[in-house]
Amino acid sequence: MVKTVVIKPKVDINKVNTHILPVDFEYYEPRTLRELVELLDKLGPSAKILAGGTDLLVQIKQRAVEPKYVVNIKKVRELDFIEDRGDYLAIGAVTRLRAIEKNSLIAEKFTALHEAVRAMAGVQIRNMATIGGNLCNASPAADTAPPLMVFDAELKIVGPGYEKVIPITQFFKGPKKTVLKYNEVLAEIRIPYPKPPTGSAFIKIARTAMDLAKVNVAVALRVDEDDYIRWIRVALGSVAPTPVRARSVEEELIDKRFSEEIVRKASRLVVNDISPITDIRSTAEYRREVSKVIVRDALLIAYKRVRGV
Amino acid sequence: MSKIILPKRLEKYHYIGKNTIRHDGIAKVTGKLKYAYDIYLPGMLYGRILKSPYPHARVKKIDTSEAEKMGAVVVTFKDVPRKKFNIRLVSVDEVNYKDWEVLTDHPKFVGEYIAAVAAETEELAQKALEAIKIEWEVYEPLLDPLESMTPGKPKIHDKILFGQREVEVKNNIACTKEYVEGDPDRAFKEADIVIERVFKTNRRYHMQLEPKVAVVRPEPDGGVTIWTTTQTIHNTKILVSQVFDIPMSKVNVIKLPIGGSFGSSIQTNLVVLVAVALALKARRPVRIALTREEDILDHHSYQMIFKVRVAAKKDGTIIAGELENIMDIGAHQIQAYPLLGTALGWFVSLYKWKNIRYKGIAVYTNKTPSCAFRGYGNPQVTWAVETVIDELAEKLGIDPLELRLKNYVGRGDIFWGQGPTVKSVIRSDGVPELIRKGAELIGWDKRPKPGSQKGRYRRGIGVARGFHTSGAGGPLSGEVIDYTGAIIKVNEDGTIDYITALQDHGGGTLDAHAKIIAEELGVPLKSINIVWADTRTTLYDVCTHASRGVYVGGEAARRAARIVKQKLLEYAARILGDIATPEGLRIEPDEELGQGVIYVEGSPEKRITVGEVARIAWQRNWGSIAAAVSYRSYAAPPAFTVYFVEVEVDTETGIVRPVRVVAGADIGTVVNPDLAAGQIHGGFAQGWGMATLEDLPYDPETGELMNRGFITDYKVVTAPDMPKLDDFIVIFADTEEPTGPLGAKGIGEAAKNPVAAAVANAIYNAIGVRFYELPITPEKILKALKEKGEIKE
Repeated sequence: MVKTVVIKPKVDINKVNTHILPVDFEYYEPRTLRELVELLDKLGPSAKILAGGTDLLVQIKQRAVEPKYVVNIKKVRELDFIEDRGDYLAIGAVTRLRAIEKNSLIAEKFTALHEAVRAMAGVQIRNMATIGGNLCNASPAADTAPPLMVFDAELKIVGPGYEKVIPITQFFKGPKKTVLKYNEVLAEIRIPYPKPPTGSAFIKIARTAMDLAKVNVAVALRVDEDDYIRWIRVALGSVAPTPVRARSVEEELIDKRFSEEIVRKASRLVVNDISPITDIRSTAEYRREVSKVIVRDALLIAYKRVRGV
Repeated sequence: MSKIILPKRLEKYHYIGKNTIRHDGIAKVTGKLKYAYDIYLPGMLYGRILKSPYPHARVKKIDTSEAEKMGAVVVTFKDVPRKKFNIRLVSVDEVNYKDWEVLTDHPKFVGEYIAAVAAETEELAQKALEAIKIEWEVYEPLLDPLESMTPGKPKIHDKILFGQREVEVKNNIACTKEYVEGDPDRAFKEADIVIERVFKTNRRYHMQLEPKVAVVRPEPDGGVTIWTTTQTIHNTKILVSQVFDIPMSKVNVIKLPIGGSFGSSIQTNLVVLVAVALALKARRPVRIALTREEDILDHHSYQMIFKVRVAAKKDGTIIAGELENIMDIGAHQIQAYPLLGTALGWFVSLYKWKNIRYKGIAVYTNKTPSCAFRGYGNPQVTWAVETVIDELAEKLGIDPLELRLKNYVGRGDIFWGQGPTVKSVIRSDGVPELIRKGAELIGWDKRPKPGSQKGRYRRGIGVARGFHTSGAGGPLSGEVIDYTGAIIKVNEDGTIDYITALQDHGGGTLDAHAKIIAEELGVPLKSINIVWADTRTTLYDVCTHASRGVYVGGEAARRAARIVKQKLLEYAARILGDIATPEGLRIEPDEELGQGVIYVEGSPEKRITVGEVARIAWQRNWGSIAAAVSYRSYAAPPAFTVYFVEVEVDTETGIVRPVRVVAGADIGTVVNPDLAAGQIHGGFAQGWGMATLEDLPYDPETGELMNRGFITDYKVVTAPDMPKLDDFIVIFADTEEPTGPLGAKGIGEAAKNPVAAAVANAIYNAIGVRFYELPITPEKILKALKEKGEIKE
């Protein structure tokens, strides 16, 4: 009666957990950006950067990665800053989420980013986790990505002997994948101040108040005095292999006169920009449905913020 | 602060009904309290357990040589006593089903223990574990109970023990129970209205703060000393003794604080037995701490599929109730058999059905074994029954509150919450008061008509009521073991040591005992020291479960205090002289002196402190002032709860938010209002999670948990998910339980039992849709609203 079968477990329960760290690695704590890049160049691709550890340490314990070298960059003080540089705001890659949450300039000028950070994990984790870590971990659900995308943020990447600045929209390559080479470091995030009057908003749908997103969305828009939308950005997370811009929605709304009706119609187009899947957190169908709803909700909130109501 | 409505009656007490500081509060908030995980012993090794990655398999070959070469001590199924047992010892032996082994070559769920290693560090132990090689024969798993019980399916178990008797398992049915009362067939024929519904509950994980830990030290006399996460130190002692044939006097289990449990350590955690095997072989102390991922493979709730059928007359008189209960118990029996009885008990004690039919079937599947989880089947049964009662009220056009008051089992009725062998008469009943007050506070009369609202956000109010027993005592000895013990001794300065085996899971149970002792004796609360004891120095206590901690344990403590008080008064009379009878003496606490003061009624100038009496008794060789009491309660009274919940449904996202809660609780005398209210807040949170959030689906291909064991994908609700404290009112009924210590009953489980039903009824009230499968997720709500045509593009 008993039939033998072949089963391939998806997890090795005798290996994987979130408590024991049986992986041996060499540990480094560079003090300067230059030292860091040289070190990465020397160590090669089997090094992993630790920028807070709230993702990496769990991944090592889960044995998803087993690095030979771990490079803790929290001691690179020059990467820990929030700086107003006139045209843009610069945030160092190892700036803690808690510091971003507490920054009043960010709350005022980049409300969607402030809201996104506040919606992430609990205080203890926000005290450890960094914005660079959240981006480089390249989770499709990374909460800081959509707001940075709607503000047209740029990323300063430093490699051995060079640096470059790329738009964040070019940064993500897939789940857990970015354009960074093994000897390159995300050094800072630059967010241009949007021309006033601009409003932004972030909404996250999750199972509980402390959770990864089923869907998250950030929007930013500027309207002129006649209510015409002159600039608009919409980005979503957790509904595609990377965080995505909802260009169909943006194109539909640009230069249109703002109204609830037109926003409602345009928000439905978001399904053209996303490709959600069914997983343990939610279903593809649900993600599609609520994407439409929260894109609309976020646009209405952002508009109210433009108007100061 | 949360809002608490307390009866005035409590004002007469010194400590009861007042908020007092917990005896372990400072140690807890400063992180100084030592849990099992914090125990470090000289020479201690760290253990890790090799678990089956397959839902059903057999070990053909095991090679541990590589692990041993690394210096690890290894035990496999070949090194442990090959006897079958049940890890839970609460039922009497003749009705205890036994199908467990310490380590096995025939695992029946993903996570079952095969072998274990111990090494100098946990990391080394982990590496040694990974070096063990096993050749498997893998079988087709059975993950669905209805499929599993179909004739012709693979056998999960062959022969198991029932008491001392070997029995054969047929069609993977672990055990069954049937019951008939009256003539249900006739009643259903005579009914004006019949409602029949099928319900499916969810599989939940306890998510107690502390994953299971066992530290075992082998002793030179062949015995063992054990520090572990447990709700019962004595049953742990007994099981270790039985499995390893060590005399009970040589097994000592130390009582430690426990980081929550919710029923998951009623049974002795198997990790204890594995640690014993390792320690005996290594001849060194061994610690095994389960990781969270191992813990979530260790114990789940019982998932139940119900068919409920109810018959009533037009005037709202219920005339019959039927319950079919198919329980998925996972791969082993912990308390499936007694639960078949208690599920029936919950059912018959909710309403006066008059004519009853019950059929309970417990089915093996290749999944994590199910065990009690706060409410022990009661939240599941109450969800189903209270949903049907709500539907019945609507069909009959009777106010749901009125229908409940007309038919519920209350004062004077026979209550058998803990199953057919645990019956007693209800003596205290606050249900009418709680329904009346709750209805007023929530604004019951203003609740909307179900499904009448338009617009995106819709609010609804739901009600559900229920109860839980206080312990499992009764006049007959029955099939459940339930008694406890208390020792009180007065020190030579008048301070008091209180010694009990009864565990406090973190809810403040032992603080309640201390307050009951202080109140009964008339001494300051701070003069009572709760001793961290062990099995050698305590009397038997079955287990802290069934909401019995305060009701049973507190009464044992009170009775011991009464004996001590008698002795104190006799000695005081001797000292004071001129006293006709000690009965005329009184004791009152004096907070400034830190002492109880004994005085003569009517002549208060004749007085002496308890400390002085104790000192004199010592100096004059009168002997110790002490008492030891072993106590069995002759009742298990229901603590009643009535929940009114207001929710808001976002019809575009399907997200439900709790807006307001009015929670009524009849727990008799309220010993500590804040802690009791805390139980209700926690009970609501867990009930909310059951109603809207939690589930543990299995991967049909591999028999693994879909969340892969990670709590990243097993969410429980947190404080921000709950209503604002200002919107959560707790009402305590003005009742006094004659059989309880100073009138108290239990609270822990009653606090949760009706929550899921109240939430489901509120969702129905808001959107006019009923759900018969838990959890009621936003995905399901949105789908249902779409099917109803409520959501348009």
